[in-house]
Amino acid sequence: MPKGYLAIVLHAHLPYVRHPEFEDFLEEDWLFEAITETYVPLVKIFDQLIKDGVDFKLTVSLSPTLISMLMDPLLQSKYVKHLDKLIELSAKEIDRTTWEGQFNALARMYHSQFLETRHIFVDRYKRNLVEAFKHFQNEGRLEVITCCATHGYLPLMEVERKASVTAQVRVASGLYEKVFGKKPLGIWLPECGYNPGDDEILKKEGIKYFFVDTHGILFGSPRPRFGVFSPYLCKSGVAAIGRDVESSKAVWSAKEGYPGDYNYREFYRDIGFDLDYDYIRPYINADGVRINTGIKYYRITGETNRKEPYSQERARDTASFHAGNFMFNREKQVEHLAHQMGDRLPMIVAPYDAELFGHWWYEGPQWLDFLIRKIRYDQNNIALTTPGEYLKTYKKYQVLTPSASSWGWKGYSEVWLEGSNDWIYRHLHKMVERMVEAARNNPNAKGMLLRALNQMARELLLAQSSDWAFIMKTGSHVSYAVERFREHAEHFTEIYEEVKEGSLDEEYIRRCEDKYNLFPDIDYSVYGV
Amino acid sequence: MAKDIARQNPQPLKIRERKEFRFPQGYGDNKIVLLVRDPWWIFAYWEIRRDKEESVIGSIRSSGDDVAKSILRIYDVTDINFNGQNAHSYFDIDLKGLASNWYINVGNPDRSWVVDIGILSKKGNFYLLARSNVVKTPRFGMSDKLDAEWMMSEDEYWKMFGLSGGFGVGKGSLEVREMIKKRLEEQVSSGGISSGASFYRKPGERKFWLVVNTELIVYGATEPDARVTVQGKEIKLRPDGSFALRFALPDGKQVIPVEATSKDGIDRRRITPIVTRKTE
Repeated sequence: MPKGYLAIVLHAHLPYVRHPEFEDFLEEDWLFEAITETYVPLVKIFDQLIKDGVDFKLTVSLSPTLISMLMDPLLQSKYVKHLDKLIELSAKEIDRTTWEGQFNALARMYHSQFLETRHIFVDRYKRNLVEAFKHFQNEGRLEVITCCATHGYLPLMEVERKASVTAQVRVASGLYEKVFGKKPLGIWLPECGYNPGDDEILKKEGIKYFFVDTHGILFGSPRPRFGVFSPYLCKSGVAAIGRDVESSKAVWSAKEGYPGDYNYREFYRDIGFDLDYDYIRPYINADGVRINTGIKYYRITGETNRKEPYSQERARDTASFHAGNFMFNREKQVEHLAHQMGDRLPMIVAPYDAELFGHWWYEGPQWLDFLIRKIRYDQNNIALTTPGEYLKTYKKYQVLTPSASSWGWKGYSEVWLEGSNDWIYRHLHKMVERMVEAARNNPNAKGMLLRALNQMARELLLAQSSDWAFIMKTGSHVSYAVERFREHAEHFTEIYEEVKEGSLDEEYIRRCEDKYNLFPDIDYSVYGV
Repeated sequence: MAKDIARQNPQPLKIRERKEFRFPQGYGDNKIVLLVRDPWWIFAYWEIRRDKEESVIGSIRSSGDDVAKSILRIYDVTDINFNGQNAHSYFDIDLKGLASNWYINVGNPDRSWVVDIGILSKKGNFYLLARSNVVKTPRFGMSDKLDAEWMMSEDEYWKMFGLSGGFGVGKGSLEVREMIKKRLEEQVSSGGISSGASFYRKPGERKFWLVVNTELIVYGATEPDARVTVQGKEIKLRPDGSFALRFALPDGKQVIPVEATSKDGIDRRRITPIVTRKTE
């Protein structure tokens, strides 16, 4: 019998970026990098754990935009092309580094990794990684949950809040059900952005739990009896699950976090930037801008620009050590909690962005693999669980209203509401007002009008992606984010005016549908309620 | 470094030519909207119709008064059904220039707020242009409300609070609030990949710097159907019999025997460049 539980949650999300009008589009690389560096490595370790008969339980949230991209045939085939170029480049690298033993070994490592990635992606999962996650869920190892339709940040949906939030949740849950064959148990609120009362909407959409950051629980009312170590029920009956600070810090912290260890791979030294331009030219962006290729030969080394070659052995030993350390600290944590929890065992909730694992922190998937195996075989104090599982354990949970909060910088909405991005909200709010108006004025639309209204809903949802505001703030790819926001507003507004005037331009709507083709089953009437 | 979309050639799926879409200056509304930024700050944006403003100014003047300034009036309406007169308190902010939004420091968590935008007359009367929605700033600190069913001693609540917050036990409420504030300021999220923002460790500021590497190209040609090895490893010839190999060249001596054998195995040629690199 364990003394407590650990619920690891990986939140996987990318904004919807798909450009059929270009053969090669810089921002599509976000998806391709994530597949190669994060999703496939995770799939690989889960497959191997199952093959080895290792029992484990994790929670993974897949955002609906990510699911839509992973299932899109055009992006799938673009990815295979992208991967084939990486395979070609890594083969060239094996030759080029013939006289440099350490780099040659790394070139061989990348080459075989890319070949294996191709095998997993193309042969094993027939280009559709969503099938992999479905498989792990059916095997009882993963609890796959949903996220808002386009990762819209809910706290700032102040105008027509009910319709806005309902649409983000219902569209997400509809896609989930279609893909996974059942309703989602839980939802990852984008950026853990919680606004008291939004749980009522989750309740109506059949969602059982969501996550909030630590202070969302600690500042909740009435006072929380169990800190963040138990779920709480909102008045609506939906459970709020709070993030643990210690386990987060171990991985996230800029100062103390594992990913900064000197033995780990240096993210910022990539051959896309390091090698001779003419040589690397065919493997960078079509317009000639140097980009990360994913082939990186150095370890972090220290606070220095002189980097030493990466050593797989050293990095693996370090990942194993860090996994042991993480486990030990969780064991100590549950021991400290042993006499504080009354009739129940604590649950430590450790959520992370999935893309942290593999993309930013190259050894992250390996660390997770070590951690899962160690927890299974090296101790008895903690056991892995999922919120869905834990919620079945006890009959009663304290009822509490979590405090408005997010897991963003400073804990509230400042990341998405500041000088660089505050201008978008008056337009977003106007769009949702117009969407509600159009939905109410046109109930039971059919034919072309139905298509027009549904496309308006798609464009509105896409404009609501929290990613645009986030990118505007962080300062790289800003013009892309601004252009996307503008483009969705344009499509939306054009169609809105056509609907209002009763003169639909079929060709225009068709082209919008072709370009932004996600959520094929969307129903605009969600905005008419 | 987003791709400049206009510069590209989006022929195949070009959506039909239209006048370029621009966000309008206004939507013809007369309204003010509040958003909550955090426990201490709210954000207001507004749009006031000119006819509304003119008619208000007209009525100020016709009452023998005159316009002094445009202001925001921020009301604390916590637990009140606000009617314009019954706020706990209010304060004003003078609007300058052509502002159409404002960050307002209300400085008070766990309170409800309404903001009026309007005109203050010289005689000190306030004329309303638009009234906002009601928003509530989040609580910052432990709730005073206790749940009879889940009651503990004060000490025990603080203990759980400390364990959850990762700062141990026995801290007073002010101290803990400061610690939480500090922790939230250190909070990072990776922002996935799309942010392009460096996540946990920004690379050191490079000032002046220099990197020099060398590569060696070994190239040549023979009969297209010959067998060629370089350092004992067979290589592939181009259809015209030429070849080129590219090597990173480290310090030291490289002996590079290149050997060609004719298809029938009778002729054999061997050429061995020797290259030394030395860095000073």
